[in-house]
Amino acid sequence: MSVLDTPRVYFRGQMTWDPIVTNNYQAFYNLATSKPVLGTGTVADYREKARQSVTRGNWNPHGTHRSTFFETTVCGVDCGGGLRTDDALVGVPVSFTGMLVDLNPYGATTSQLFFDHVSCGIQGGSRLLARRATSMVARRLNFARNTGYTVIAGVASVVWQTSFPFPDSLSIDPHGSDVLEALARALADDDTVGLTLRMNTYRTAYFGTDAPTAQDSAELAAQIAQGGFHPNPARSMVVGVIGPWRRGEPPSVPADRVLAATENSPISTAFAKVGGGRLTVDLGNSVPETGFDLTKLDVGPLQVVATAAGGDVALGTIPYSAYDASAYAATSGLVDLDLDDAQAAAALDADVEIRDGQGVALLSEQPLTVVADTPNLYLEEGESTTVALRTFERGRTPSSPVSVTMAEIGGPLPPVQVVTGADGTVAVPVQGGRSGSWAWVLVPWRGEPPPPPAGLVPTLNEYLVLRTTPLDAHIARMEPTWANVYEQVLRDWEALAPCMDNWLRLGDEDQVVRHASLVRQLTSRDRFEDFRYMPVTRELTKGQRTLLHRWCDAVLGAPTPESLTAAEVASEQGAFGRGF
Amino acid sequence: MIRLAPQPMDTVDDMRHALQKAIELELSTLPPYLYAVFSIEEGANEAARSRIGAIVLEEMTHMALACNILNAIGGRPVLAQASVVPAYPGPLPYDIGGDDGEPFLVSLLPFSKKAMAQAIHIEEPEDPIKFSAGLELAPTFQTIGEFYAALDKALGTLPPEVWAAPAGSQVTDHPFFAGDLFPVVDYASASTAISRIVSEGEGTTKSPLDFEGDLAHYYRFEEIRRDRVLQKDAGKPEGFSWGPPLGVDWDGVLPVIKDPAEHDFAGDPAAQAAQDECDRAFTVLLQELERAVTGEPGRMGNAVRAMFDLRMAARVAVRTPLKGSKKSAGPAFRFRPELV
Repeated sequence: MSVLDTPRVYFRGQMTWDPIVTNNYQAFYNLATSKPVLGTGTVADYREKARQSVTRGNWNPHGTHRSTFFETTVCGVDCGGGLRTDDALVGVPVSFTGMLVDLNPYGATTSQLFFDHVSCGIQGGSRLLARRATSMVARRLNFARNTGYTVIAGVASVVWQTSFPFPDSLSIDPHGSDVLEALARALADDDTVGLTLRMNTYRTAYFGTDAPTAQDSAELAAQIAQGGFHPNPARSMVVGVIGPWRRGEPPSVPADRVLAATENSPISTAFAKVGGGRLTVDLGNSVPETGFDLTKLDVGPLQVVATAAGGDVALGTIPYSAYDASAYAATSGLVDLDLDDAQAAAALDADVEIRDGQGVALLSEQPLTVVADTPNLYLEEGESTTVALRTFERGRTPSSPVSVTMAEIGGPLPPVQVVTGADGTVAVPVQGGRSGSWAWVLVPWRGEPPPPPAGLVPTLNEYLVLRTTPLDAHIARMEPTWANVYEQVLRDWEALAPCMDNWLRLGDEDQVVRHASLVRQLTSRDRFEDFRYMPVTRELTKGQRTLLHRWCDAVLGAPTPESLTAAEVASEQGAFGRGF
Repeated sequence: MIRLAPQPMDTVDDMRHALQKAIELELSTLPPYLYAVFSIEEGANEAARSRIGAIVLEEMTHMALACNILNAIGGRPVLAQASVVPAYPGPLPYDIGGDDGEPFLVSLLPFSKKAMAQAIHIEEPEDPIKFSAGLELAPTFQTIGEFYAALDKALGTLPPEVWAAPAGSQVTDHPFFAGDLFPVVDYASASTAISRIVSEGEGTTKSPLDFEGDLAHYYRFEEIRRDRVLQKDAGKPEGFSWGPPLGVDWDGVLPVIKDPAEHDFAGDPAAQAAQDECDRAFTVLLQELERAVTGEPGRMGNAVRAMFDLRMAARVAVRTPLKGSKKSAGPAFRFRPELV
């Protein structure tokens, strides 16, 4: 099972995005040190420079990183018999608030949403409440999603996914909802380990308008200059689906069959699954809109075929009416085709292809796929961990071991090759090494190794990204005085995040002392995945945390000595290399 | 249930006057609700805190929508004048009263059954749905819902040329309150705004749910007071019944006095300073809000900052013991421009 199986819940609405983007620029932020570039200037100087950069592209220095659904509701369900809009769950609000954080703030392909829960419905009514087990990860970024609207990143769409294990993370109160009862039954199946939420966000608007101008930037800069709090959240459309999470599927990235866009295809990569007598194609991230009004590009009827050895087997046709704007909004881009037994057998064992009316292939299956269980990874300098890679062959466990090339993007290290076991998985050790951020494209193969990829194409490639924060042992060793804590820890956040003035003035010793207990709790590493973790950008170094906690403990009168080990101190001297 | 004498709605000036009073009414609900939230102990009563917090945000949007309507028909909202800022304990605007016609006096109360009962009284619809133990209806005077209905009807009689909102006079849902605010440019949008205000506050006559499928304010306060979740119940004619406990801890409250404006802070400089900081932040909030709804929408960011300052000042105040006492005082919500 997966979200492409049934039962399913469809939702749609809008979502705000409110990241601080000052750290997207090297002039303001040093990725290697994980700190803002203050130089000899003050916090006020830094904030003023950030304000002045608004007219040069820094569209949200007062961001909060919060990302929230609004006007988002359950719009349909499918219990196995097709779309229904008469279920008790239809129309209930879908609530979500997360923190949008780029693992690598310079990049565009490493976004994550840290959150605590998602809910459909309210307490006392038909409700699905899902508590976070893993953060939501952005993948398959499609920078050709809109042919007519290209403001900033408004052109792009993103696939987000997370999963919730049952029973630990899920509460289901059907109260007359057929689909919730069906999901509860599905969770009793031994092959189902929980529920997965997959959503697509697209058509992002900035400055509260579809056509921002230089005047909008100038007005924002002027508003910031006159004091107060002036976030500038963008907003996207969102469609999504919630369905069963199959045993063996990774939680954060889709592991369905991948129908990859061919060269010059007007539509982008899709996912697919065969089961229950039908083929489900996930076009959620595929067909572009042609402008801000969300009209879908009409590429004519789409022919779906299985390219079997004995000849193509037609699986069905997807007319424009099945992927136009209203169809997309109704089923989040999922299209179901009923199959007879022969078609189902062909679709299971042969590559699936989607062609236009002239027979030209627009999407062709990548039979071998690979994903990482933890696709976005944070380590501290010198730390190491293991990442599980899972390979699939047409969406199922591979028939024989698969090789995977891990090719660093833009880095000097040679590609690494690993081979899975019979179960299609392989555990890869990863070392934090030096501080910074790295990414590897994952390429599965059998037979002759393919040439290393020239770069990352997010719609076609899966990848693993790593962020290593510095150890900062010298900071850990400092006296836990207010002056040191402020200069070495809090000043960084105060400079980069003016929004913090709302909740806690980080330069105000009295306020920070009053909130020392809370600060200590929210900066603890075991709260890293929490919505309220501080700092929201997840760049607190181990040395900074050590100093901060020693100070908090002294203020609270509850000394709990923490120190770095000798090995950790040694590692700061650059003894480790990154990689595998 | 609170009631008011029927208001004249014959002229545009009558409607402007009524809208200004509607703004004052929405404003007057915020301090008692905030006072209850500020008094809750850290980590306690999360369900109640989140319910009241959501109501506060909706009341803010109701006030902003009323401002948008007033601006749309050529009025000018007033928020930063002593004459429009309610005092606590004190009456609501229009001397709104109970069924007996006597003015209803609103107090600033710490989180308690009494505070929730007061809020329920403020939010009670004309004909609340009775679940297991419904509240009585005594149809005299005009309810808040009827007041808004009369206003809606009157606005519908205005000729198109009256709807001429000056540029920059409308508060939109960017950058704050996404999806909850919209410009009012004609009768249709004004009517939508009024329906939203009424349904979020009172629900409908047939359902405790507002237009978004969430519980209306009245029923959310009732959930807290009863410490019970209002749940769907197909076996009941009205479709709902009182379910399991919500998880209210009436002891999870700081020892905060009621109505701090009545307390004498003389000789207690720490508590007085905390009060002054609360009043200063509240005053700035009103001043900035007024600017934001009268042609300077960019000042909304200053108002929001002041709101956060008020929150921080209140956190300090409720944790500052009164001299010679184990109790403390929350913010009195006084408009004191001399502090700014």
